[in-house]
Amino acid sequence: MSNAPTIRDAVQARLAKRHRAEQRFQFYGLAAISAAVLFLAVLLGSLIIQSVPAFTAHKLVLDVDIRPEIADPRGDASEASLRRGSYNTLIQNSLWAQFPEAGSVSEMRELFGLYSAVNAARLLNEVVNNPDVLGETIRFTLPISDDADLYLKGLTTEEEFLPGAAPLSLAPAADGGVILRSRTGAPVFDGFLDLVQARLDAALAQARRRAEQTAAQAAEELDTDTRNSLEAEAQRARDLVRALEMARSDTAPVQLNSQTASLMLRAQGGVLRISQLQQDGRSAQGDWLIGPDHASDSAETWSLWVIETPSIARRITDRQIVWARTLKERGLIRNGLNTTLFTNADSREPELAGVAGALAGSILTMIVTMLLAVPIGVGAAIYLEEFAPKNRLTDFIEVNINNLAAVPSIVFGLLGLAVFINLFGMPRSAPLVGGMVLALMTLPTVIISARAALKAVPPSIREAALGVGASRTQAVFHHVLPLAMPGILTGSIIGLAQALGETAPLLMIGMVAFIADPPTLGLSGFTEPATVMPVQIYIWSSSAERAFEARTAAAILALLTLLVSFNAVAIYLRRRFERRW
Amino acid sequence: MSMSLDFPVDNPPTRYHPLTTQLPIKVATDAVSVRYGDKLALEDVSLEIPDRAVTACIGPSGCGKSTFLRCLNRMNDTIDTARVSGSIRIDSEEVNGRDVDPVVLRARVGMVFQKPNPFPKSIYENVAYGPRIHGLAETKAELDHIVETSLIKAGLWAEVADRLHHPGTSLSGGQQQRLVIARAIAVNPEVILMDEPCSALDPIATARIEELIDELRENYSLIIVTHSMAQAARVSQMTAFFHLGKLVEYGPTEEIFTNPLDQRTQDYITGRFG
Repeated sequence: MSNAPTIRDAVQARLAKRHRAEQRFQFYGLAAISAAVLFLAVLLGSLIIQSVPAFTAHKLVLDVDIRPEIADPRGDASEASLRRGSYNTLIQNSLWAQFPEAGSVSEMRELFGLYSAVNAARLLNEVVNNPDVLGETIRFTLPISDDADLYLKGLTTEEEFLPGAAPLSLAPAADGGVILRSRTGAPVFDGFLDLVQARLDAALAQARRRAEQTAAQAAEELDTDTRNSLEAEAQRARDLVRALEMARSDTAPVQLNSQTASLMLRAQGGVLRISQLQQDGRSAQGDWLIGPDHASDSAETWSLWVIETPSIARRITDRQIVWARTLKERGLIRNGLNTTLFTNADSREPELAGVAGALAGSILTMIVTMLLAVPIGVGAAIYLEEFAPKNRLTDFIEVNINNLAAVPSIVFGLLGLAVFINLFGMPRSAPLVGGMVLALMTLPTVIISARAALKAVPPSIREAALGVGASRTQAVFHHVLPLAMPGILTGSIIGLAQALGETAPLLMIGMVAFIADPPTLGLSGFTEPATVMPVQIYIWSSSAERAFEARTAAAILALLTLLVSFNAVAIYLRRRFERRW
Repeated sequence: MSMSLDFPVDNPPTRYHPLTTQLPIKVATDAVSVRYGDKLALEDVSLEIPDRAVTACIGPSGCGKSTFLRCLNRMNDTIDTARVSGSIRIDSEEVNGRDVDPVVLRARVGMVFQKPNPFPKSIYENVAYGPRIHGLAETKAELDHIVETSLIKAGLWAEVADRLHHPGTSLSGGQQQRLVIARAIAVNPEVILMDEPCSALDPIATARIEELIDELRENYSLIIVTHSMAQAARVSQMTAFFHLGKLVEYGPTEEIFTNPLDQRTQDYITGRFG
């Protein structure tokens, strides 16, 4: 027993080190999990925040007078006649009735830019389905343009509403505008004047800097093409400087233009746009965008409405902003749940674009993939695991199945293009072909996971079944397969979920496409052109319209929801099957 | 070849003890050898097993006694590399014959394994599975009857009668093993093979199974592989001692244990090796 203390000492000496190693390892694990959770939270959080604007939409509710001479040119109320009617004119008339002062062609174009003419087709369908409304006034709801929608959601510009300080007098100007003066002589526009001039100074300084920099770069540049483009840029900057210098003055009136913030003045029930501010801050000049409800030469109460973003930096004009806000105040524009997002297929107009088409395409494609990959994959796994003799051929097959699982997915797309479309002459862009290609891609995953699940069933179950005289097939289908089912289901659903998020193979067979009509959810839908959710997300993410930004995030959330529900079904099924045993 | 003991080279080859009981022969094997790939697992085993008696196979681990048992209902067929040669006859019918379907054979020769392996289904379903796949019952009542009698024969009825539809896996180890025996006798076999049926059980459960084996002896031919010499002495009428893939000695249990003819048998049963 003399060496017992030394053994204990040796253990003791190492013990601290062992404990430290264990703690260190636990810390690494904890850190890894925290990092993963943090990344996930950031991803989901930013997606949800970004997608919020896409879930509501402003709708224009118009009372449309279905005038027979426009809606029904032949006058017989037949479908052929109705289809020749000009329904956009009906909507235009109804909207124009709200703002009769919009007189010029360009003003009308701005006004009718508040909605997309595509909506006329829906009105046509309503009338065709119910010709009795001819000659009557019906209530028609249509989504407003994405730019007006973004503005009303406050995503286009900052705004400020300031009450008027003192009564104003209004007098007609020589050029047709209105001259506004402070009746008491106290300055009323001075605060805004300072703001505009500070902005102008900042913009001027930036433009000057840019002009100098590009000119210096151009002087040093040796390549002719680059020098020319730099010189052109310098010239543009100099033009801007000149324009800003004209606007910025300490003595002359300040001109408000597309480079500056817009200033609206509401008085007498109408809206004026200020175009010029005097340096004394006591008077200004503007013109009516929405006419006053009563003509008078003075205004006791009025308010200022500052639109911070210069009109050149936004896609919605001052007029459209004023109209949109007025329509909202009149109760003709209402905010509501954006059902379009879930009922429509893709569209070039963001307010009419939805995920329904891609969702239907994804569902049809997944049905084909599931019907092919799961039975074939599970069948192959059962044969290889339970019945196949172990020889070189089955070894070769096994190695190749494992290799197939690692093949880049685009290769399956090429295979689908070469075999299914070119050789078999199947339709392009169809969920049938897409599903078949994705099934090829999913098969190795299903086979490998199903084999693993079958292998995990204890051999004693097989022996028990064989021992009471079951045939091999009976042993497999009565006892082994039910026990392996949870594992097989998990593997299959992971494979399907992977296929659901796949784009590359679909690129080759034409499913990366703009599809404006959702495929029918029936047998014929399998051969109609369709696209799928990840492709829809990709198309939207590369669209120029800002409104697609939120819709992209919303579509990603929809796809994630689909994936999570897939996995939830998998977990539910696994629990259910496990509980039975 | 490594051996745990040094045997004299001129030791007589495997001898068969003449069968001295009055019981009819149920199973007869002649020169049965089994190879797993290149490995010879069982060599030249010839013996005759009586009906309505318990025959115990004893021997050290890896001696081939389980392999021998698995030959009798062709369970070795499930192992790809296994090759069985020689002749096995049950009631003078060749087991390895080409026209013999292993499914039919396994209905005649039931098997109970080392670890209780009930199906992960209800107690009722466990017992009913065999009769169902063989079509032994025409009606639900007949099936109920078979399940009840099988459970009674296996001595489990009293314990599970009121919970036939509970999972079989919820029973204790000893009950599970009796359930497995009930499952085996539900298809009305002629021979029951038991591969170390008590090795995973406690002494009380073991005693119950041994009692059961003794009762079953009245109707069946039982062949049991065991590591426990005491168990072999308690339950069996005949004993076969295997060593290194060979049958060393076979005879009435009493004689094997009291007066073994072979030195190796003597050494084994006295606990000198194995």
